[in-house]
Amino acid sequence: MSALLEVEDLAVSYGAVPAVEGVSLAIAAGEIRVILGANGAGKTTIIKSLLGLLRPRRGAIRFEGKTDLLRLKPHEIHRLGVAWVPEGRQLWNTLTVMDNLRLGGFGQKDDTRVERQIRLMLERFPRLGERQDQIAGSLSGGEQQMVAIARALISQPRLLLMDEPSLGLAPLVVRDVFQLVREINAAGIAVLMVEQNARQALKVADWAYLLATGRIVESGPAAEIAGKESVQVVFLGGHA
Amino acid sequence: MDLFLQQVANGLVIGSTYAVVAIGFALAFTVLRVINFAHPDIFMVGMFTGLVAATQYPVVGVGLVMLAGMLGAGAVGFVLERTVIAPLRGRDVLMTLIGTLGVAIMLQNGMALIAGPDPVAFPSLLPRRSIDIGPVALTLRQIANFAICLLLLALVSFYVRGTSYGRATRAIAERPDVAAAFGVNVGRICQFTILLASLMAGAAAVSVGMLYGSASAFVGLLYGLKAFICMLVAGNRYFEGVMVVAIAIGIIEALVTGYLSSSLRDAVAFFVMIGVLYYRPNGLFGSYSS
Ligand SMILES: Nc1ncnc2c1ncn2[C@@H]1O[C@H](COP(=O)(O)OP(=O)(O)OP(=O)(O)O)[C@@H](O)[C@H]1O
Ligand SMILES: [Mg+2]
Repeated sequence: MSALLEVEDLAVSYGAVPAVEGVSLAIAAGEIRVILGANGAGKTTIIKSLLGLLRPRRGAIRFEGKTDLLRLKPHEIHRLGVAWVPEGRQLWNTLTVMDNLRLGGFGQKDDTRVERQIRLMLERFPRLGERQDQIAGSLSGGEQQMVAIARALISQPRLLLMDEPSLGLAPLVVRDVFQLVREINAAGIAVLMVEQNARQALKVADWAYLLATGRIVESGPAAEIAGKESVQVVFLGGHA
Repeated sequence: MDLFLQQVANGLVIGSTYAVVAIGFALAFTVLRVINFAHPDIFMVGMFTGLVAATQYPVVGVGLVMLAGMLGAGAVGFVLERTVIAPLRGRDVLMTLIGTLGVAIMLQNGMALIAGPDPVAFPSLLPRRSIDIGPVALTLRQIANFAICLLLLALVSFYVRGTSYGRATRAIAERPDVAAAFGVNVGRICQFTILLASLMAGAAAVSVGMLYGSASAFVGLLYGLKAFICMLVAGNRYFEGVMVVAIAIGIIEALVTGYLSSSLRDAVAFFVMIGVLYYRPNGLFGSYSS
């Protein structure tokens, strides 16, 4: 596998408290990979480290086999083609839907391309088109998730990092979101997702990692992982 | 009724000045989460660099004196950001608060050493003339001050609402991490924000110097305090809210001066603050949670 992103022996602490310990993973262009883990397992910590928002204690993160992401600032990592759908949406709630989308294209050289991407997104999500001048904080949870996803796609990233995209959404909307993940991937974007909704995530993913208290305890093709008892262990916190 | 209108007009003039200083405070606090206690003294430095330009080169005219004020204030703001704010930003707010307070004290006393502790005359660059607008009479200097401050407020409002950098600035104010992850160079915008606030303060300072015909090393104290109160009363969510509150406080002060006593004037802002924060601790227009 020629990796788009490669993480080696990543360790991250908050002060003296370790949150992620010796995590290695990789994703190739065109793939969907998922990291499954319970609350507090360290999923968001991994994502934020990839984005340059946290300073890991140890490890290496390489993009396209060469660029060392640990040396870059978040905005420089974004420029390489890495986009983010944060946990709990994290829209700019005081800004309009349109401003949120425009900020998704901030720093892009080609303005007409950004405008075209925004138009495409508003066509793909007609509900957002109707609400483009509304303050993002006033949208429903499902609509907000659509804005968060659309915002991340404006820059036409090569790698999309999704932090629990199904969190707090109604079952029907959850199905839409996972359908959307497939669609995004079909457009040639690699998707690295962290999730607690194992059943749905394993259906769309090619490969899965199980994360428990900051360590990867299992990894393999999603279909294989789906059949494993350890999935139950991680999510129920019980014993096999 | 005439007194009322006259005092409202006087209040607009002074309130617009508070608004310019307050916006500088609010930009630093909202965007950088920094309480920049040196901001009022950046204003003061702008006043003195304007004063130097006006006395050394009497023929340069109002525009160039104002430019000198902006350059002086901008230079101090730039250095302050590089040396104190940028290294301390992102840690406890107390760090930058104490750091900028230290710079404020240095600037005040440094200027008092150079220019003396007492107020000095600021050259009157505009003719002494009074203009009647209906029942209200304003001096040319008052009108100039109001026009300059209003222009500065309009410019900053346009920047924040109408440009892509301004949009990124608001994005940082609400969620700095997300802004960074979406390609915004947060450090660069923070740097520019402090510079912008300082340039505005410099322009307003020259305008105030002309208005009162005097400059003092300690002029920042009163403006700083009132501007800070304006920000607390408005909350840090909307820059325009800070402008509105500043102008309102200016008007209330002028009315108190006109109808009650000028010795009560400087207490007005405090009464407004205590009253508003009692009922709305996040300010009239709301604040971002930090
Ligand atoms: N800012 C922080 N300061 C201190 N500890 C933190 C901080 N953020 C996270 N942690 C701790 O690090 C560990 C991993 O947190 P993280 O947010 O990565 O988990 P997660 O897998 O994303 O959980 P969730 O499913 O609840 O989002 C947890 O024990 C958490 O308490
Ligand atoms: Mg999380």
